[in-house]
Amino acid sequence: MSPDQKQEILSRIKGLSPNTPQMRGIRRQTLKTKKIIMNNDLEKKSIYWVKNNIPFQVEKKYYCETRDIFQARLDAMVDFLLLNFKIIENDIYILSAIAGEIGNNSFDHNLGKWPDIMGIFFSYELSEKKLTIILADRGQGVFTTLKKVKPELKNDEEALFVAFNEKISGRAPEPRGNGLKFVKENIKETKKHLLFMSGMAKIEINEKMEISQTEKINGCLAIINN
Amino acid sequence: MKIELKKFGDILVSRPAGREAYLVILAYSIKDIEKDEEIIIDFAGVKVLTPSWADEVITKLAQNHKIRLENTDNPTVKATLNTLSKYSDLKINN
Repeated sequence: MSPDQKQEILSRIKGLSPNTPQMRGIRRQTLKTKKIIMNNDLEKKSIYWVKNNIPFQVEKKYYCETRDIFQARLDAMVDFLLLNFKIIENDIYILSAIAGEIGNNSFDHNLGKWPDIMGIFFSYELSEKKLTIILADRGQGVFTTLKKVKPELKNDEEALFVAFNEKISGRAPEPRGNGLKFVKENIKETKKHLLFMSGMAKIEINEKMEISQTEKINGCLAIINN
Repeated sequence: MKIELKKFGDILVSRPAGREAYLVILAYSIKDIEKDEEIIIDFAGVKVLTPSWADEVITKLAQNHKIRLENTDNPTVKATLNTLSKYSDLKINN
């Protein structure tokens, strides 16, 4: 539904013309709160987990304490999606590869130095033909990780830009740093959607790529949609 | 020499798993081959491959051996090989 259609429906409900001062106020309010409203319970749970300054354990069914648990659940997700026949097979493989890269990144860059809770939040939801995959960690975040190898980085937004565009890794001198480039290029090529947040910045990728400020989270959060 | 990647699993995503696979290949599969012998890497049966896993295996094998790739139709295999050639300097002359 386009913003104009939403606006029209809202104005019909309120019995107001779309361009009255009241409706402009409602529109501003809607836009203002859009940043923090998540689409479903799973998204709310994940964002609450990374936003909360008091660390708490996430429900076991969403929690992958170690990489092995994540791998097992990723394997199970692929099997589940293949059995459901709702999503094109090739899309299942590409989306799983993207989730695999993002989830493993959390372990690669936080192993042995998690600030509070180790491991990641990983879950997915399939409704009709819409798949949402969510990954989150309460790790150090992209800025802290990359600043060690690129001290000139100034903030979370710059760090996200570099992470998704340059061949760079917080684990230099190991020759790494191609995972998020793979993620970006394949989200774009297959016309999927990724929202990736870290610290006080978020990057949205579909056919375009847009980086902006957002409310602070601890670590990283990724929401992938087909 | 042919290496069938499906024998390492059909969802190949992490660097530690890739590193372990590479060490096993070194120890058991290519230990005694001639330096100029071609290694065929067969992707048949692989459902999900990522650059992290493949960088630890394919890129390293290609640095020291002549390699040939087979059954690369899976979209994640294609995308991963594309990423490795762009960002990890993987060169394959098939």
